[in-house]
Formats: sequence, C-alpha cells, structure tokens
Amino acid sequence: MVNLEFHDPSGAIEVKQPHAPRIATLEGKRIGFVSNEQWQAYRMLPRLKALLEADFPGIEVLPFGAFPQGNAVIGSEETAALVKASGVDAVIIGNAA
Amino acid sequence: MGVLTNAVAGVGLAPDAAMVTFPIEMFLPGSDIAPVEMRKREFYDGLTRWRSAFAGDGAGEAPMIRVEGTSVEDAFARANHLMLANRWGDGLPLWPPTRARVDWILGGAAQPRGRGLGIFPPRGGVTTVETCAIALAMAGGRPEYLPVLMAAVGAFLDAESGSEQLQAASGSAFPVVIVNGPIGAQIRLNAGFGCLGPDPQRPAGASIGRALRLLQQNLGGALPGIGTMANYGGMRYTNVVFAEDEANLPAGWTPHGTERHGFAPGISSISLAFANGVTNIRRRGAKKETPEEDAQQGMHRMADFMRVRNMPGLSGYERGTPGILMIPGVVAQTMAGLGWTKASIREFLWEHSRIPAEQLRRAGCPAWIEIDASKVTRESLALDPWPITASPDNFVIVVAGGGHPTNSYWLQGYSPGVVGRPIDLSSSFESLLADADRDLGPR
Repeated sequence: MVNLEFHDPSGAIEVKQPHAPRIATLEGKRIGFVSNEQWQAYRMLPRLKALLEADFPGIEVLPFGAFPQGNAVIGSEETAALVKASGVDAVIIGNAA
Repeated sequence: MGVLTNAVAGVGLAPDAAMVTFPIEMFLPGSDIAPVEMRKREFYDGLTRWRSAFAGDGAGEAPMIRVEGTSVEDAFARANHLMLANRWGDGLPLWPPTRARVDWILGGAAQPRGRGLGIFPPRGGVTTVETCAIALAMAGGRPEYLPVLMAAVGAFLDAESGSEQLQAASGSAFPVVIVNGPIGAQIRLNAGFGCLGPDPQRPAGASIGRALRLLQQNLGGALPGIGTMANYGGMRYTNVVFAEDEANLPAGWTPHGTERHGFAPGISSISLAFANGVTNIRRRGAKKETPEEDAQQGMHRMADFMRVRNMPGLSGYERGTPGILMIPGVVAQTMAGLGWTKASIREFLWEHSRIPAEQLRRAGCPAWIEIDASKVTRESLALDPWPITASPDNFVIVVAGGGHPTNSYWLQGYSPGVVGRPIDLSSSFESLLADADRDLGPR
C-alpha cells in the first residue's frame, strides 16, 4: 500500500468577535433596517415593517430609508455610527441575492 | 447563503448568521413577495432566538490529510477524488500538496513560511506564505514562480483592488496580473504569442494564475453558486498572468509597472487589476492603407470596441481602469515610428470611446451611475458624450502578444483600482533558475 499525506488547502479562519446578542422580545423595541436598495428591498422591507408593527405591541420600526442606502455605503463606519446613534435595539439588513 | 457566511467570517465573526433565505425568483422585478409574510416567524426568531452554531475561535493550523492507495497512481487518484469531494479543486488534475512538494515550493520564498499576508476575502481564510505555497504546489507550479504569486496575493488582498466585493459578485470578474522586469523571462512567463493561453515553452502564467484561483476558492470561499455568484466565471481556471514584452517596447515607451506604479525600470513587479471580458480586435487594414491610415483605422476600431456601457466598470471609473489594452510589439514600434506614445494613444481612445448621453439613457444607465459611491462618477452624468472613464490615464496599455501585427486584445475592466507590488526574491533564486534549466531545458 502507498500512503500519501498532504496539506489541507482550506487554511484556518479566526473568529475575533461574537455575534450581537439577541433581544429577549420584540415588544416595545426599536428596530431599524439597513438596506442596499437592491433586489426588491423597496417592497420587501416595508412589508416586513408592517408585519412587525402588527404583531408586536409598542414596537417602533424605523422606515427602511432611515439610514444611508446602497452597497457602497451600508458597510461604512459612518453608517454604523448612525445606526448606533439612533438607539435601535436590533437591525435587519437586506436584501442580498 | 455562502456569500453571506463568507462575508461575516471575513469580518471576524463566526461563519454563520441569522438569515432568512428565499429562492431568487422573489428578488426579481414584479415578484410575489407573499412568502415574506408566510415566513415572518423566521425573521422574528432571527432577532430574538438565533444562536451561532459555530464553536471555538477557528484559529490554528489546518490538519494534514491522509489517503491510502494500492499503488502510486491509485493514491494519486484518491487524493484527487478527495480534493474534489472537499471542494478544494477545479476539476483538472491537481498535485497533492505533500510536505515534500510544499517545502520544495517554499524554496522560492523570501519570507518565513508562517509569515501572515492578511485575510483572504470574503471568507477570511488566514493567508500565509505557506498557504500560497500549498496552492502553487496543487497548481503544478515551481518554486521560482512563488515570488510572483506572493506579490499578486499581496495586491489582491489590498482593499484598493476591490477583491472583497468582486470575489462574491455576479459579474464574473477575474484578476489580471501584469509582470514587469527581468523575472518574466527568468521564470518562463509568456509575453509573446499566446501569452494568455497554454504554452509548454513558457508555462509559468498558468500555474501562478491557477494557484491564485485556488486561493480565491479555498481561502476566500469563492465557490461557484455558493460563495461567488458569478454567472459565467470565464478565464477563472488560470486567471490571466503574463509579462509585458519589454524587449519590444519602442524607444521612449516606459514599462507598465513604471508608468502606472512608479517602479524603476528593471525592477521586477506585478500590477493587478480585475477584468470581466476578453475581446480580440482585428486591428490592421486589409488593402492599400498607408502606415498612418493603418494606425488610425486600427485605433478607431479599438475605440469602437471600448464604446460600451460597461456598468460593472463604474467601480473603477474614478481611479481604476476601463480595461487593459494589449498591443503586439511590432504594432507598438510602428506606431511609435509615426509619433504615437502610450499617452497619446490613451488620449485618442478616451476621446473616441465616448458614448452619447441619449444612448446611455435608452439603456437605463443613468440609474447605475447615480447610485455609484464616487462623486466623480455621479457627476460624469453631466458630460455628453459620456467618457467611459474619468481620465485617459486610467487606460492600461501593455505591449505583449508576439510579433504579428493583425490583432490587439481588450480586457474589459471591472476594477476599482490597479494595484502594484514589487517582487521580493529569495536568496536562492538564481539556483532555482538553474534547477529549472536542468528540469525543463534551456530557456
């Protein structure tokens, strides 16, 4: 028999930070959208806003255009700072395809 | 979904995320978006109940893989099957990256094997000298190729290249690596006939480009349909790696690496840009043209090929490139004899590839230009006819392609930037070249 040993070429990845903690409930919370304005986001995100507002008493859902939109800006530090300053408890990001 | 898990891993989060995924049809114009309501609970759970399934910090060395075969051929075949099953291959035969072969390749490294080069986007694979050597070993490369691959990887990982987005994007971008300086001829990198294709006499470009592609896939996560949404993926088996034909540069014309990046002539360097198209242009005339007419008509024909609404190319409108024009040395020398320079060719192409604003409007292009991140790009909408790039300087012109005057080649740009890197050589480089002469015959 012939044995062949070789390197795994997929390398390693490093996890440097945990995902954001989840919130206990959506009732009474403030929710935001960060949108790239692509892939029917202009229809889907308002639908989701309406659903959240119908299902959870006291929830406040910011309009999907409350923060800068577009692939070029949604990953920026400036947008992140605006989201943080808005006081939202959670954010939904969409849409990707 | 793979695009997103790659993206979150690439920023240092665990490689999963709270996602609600739908078939692509729901994202098309006029779609039925009722599934959003039917699956609303998944959105709610994503905000409240989701937990990452990934444990640990992910760091550490990747393990060695073992296969057993009844013969050398059988073990080799099993290794190839395993690499395909693990989605590490490209469908063509691979050299299993054994310790001995990787160590041999590392003989071409100017840095220690563990030296970190960065995080390969978007998945975030830790990129080291050794991971480059592993990819080059798999791709059938040789140690003297490693310095070019390392420089190309360095440029690829530079945010200016746009690789993080282009790795995942649907527009089928592929990296183009232009090599300047003596290393091209030294390592048998093609600058002449067939320089973008297979050549047993000058095989370096295929291995280097294939290794870069394997890194894009295995460290960067760009698996078709999972981590990269490229519809077609052309040129991705080997990408494009070639040398400028500096021996046939006309007097007074500077090499690309000097012109674009300021490297001194004679310094070995690479220049990396992304392209998404490849077009052969029949440049020369067919009858009794004068030399001046032949040059002028050929230039118009080239500009005509460039006069297209390449909306992905907007990413490089301000500082990148609309594309890379390759012209054979014999053509460059004839044109230089008529007084043309790289700069005057750029001016001509910039002026004659402009697009009338009405043609932009009828194709819906203003919407793309208006949402571009660059103010320069957005403001270009006021120009009529619209130039395909902000400045003539953005055109890349390279002399390459052999001693025949008929054709030129246009690599349509999809490149936010054009990134240059000097090439660092190991102290044993000369002996590696001697080994290559022994193995492959004289250059």
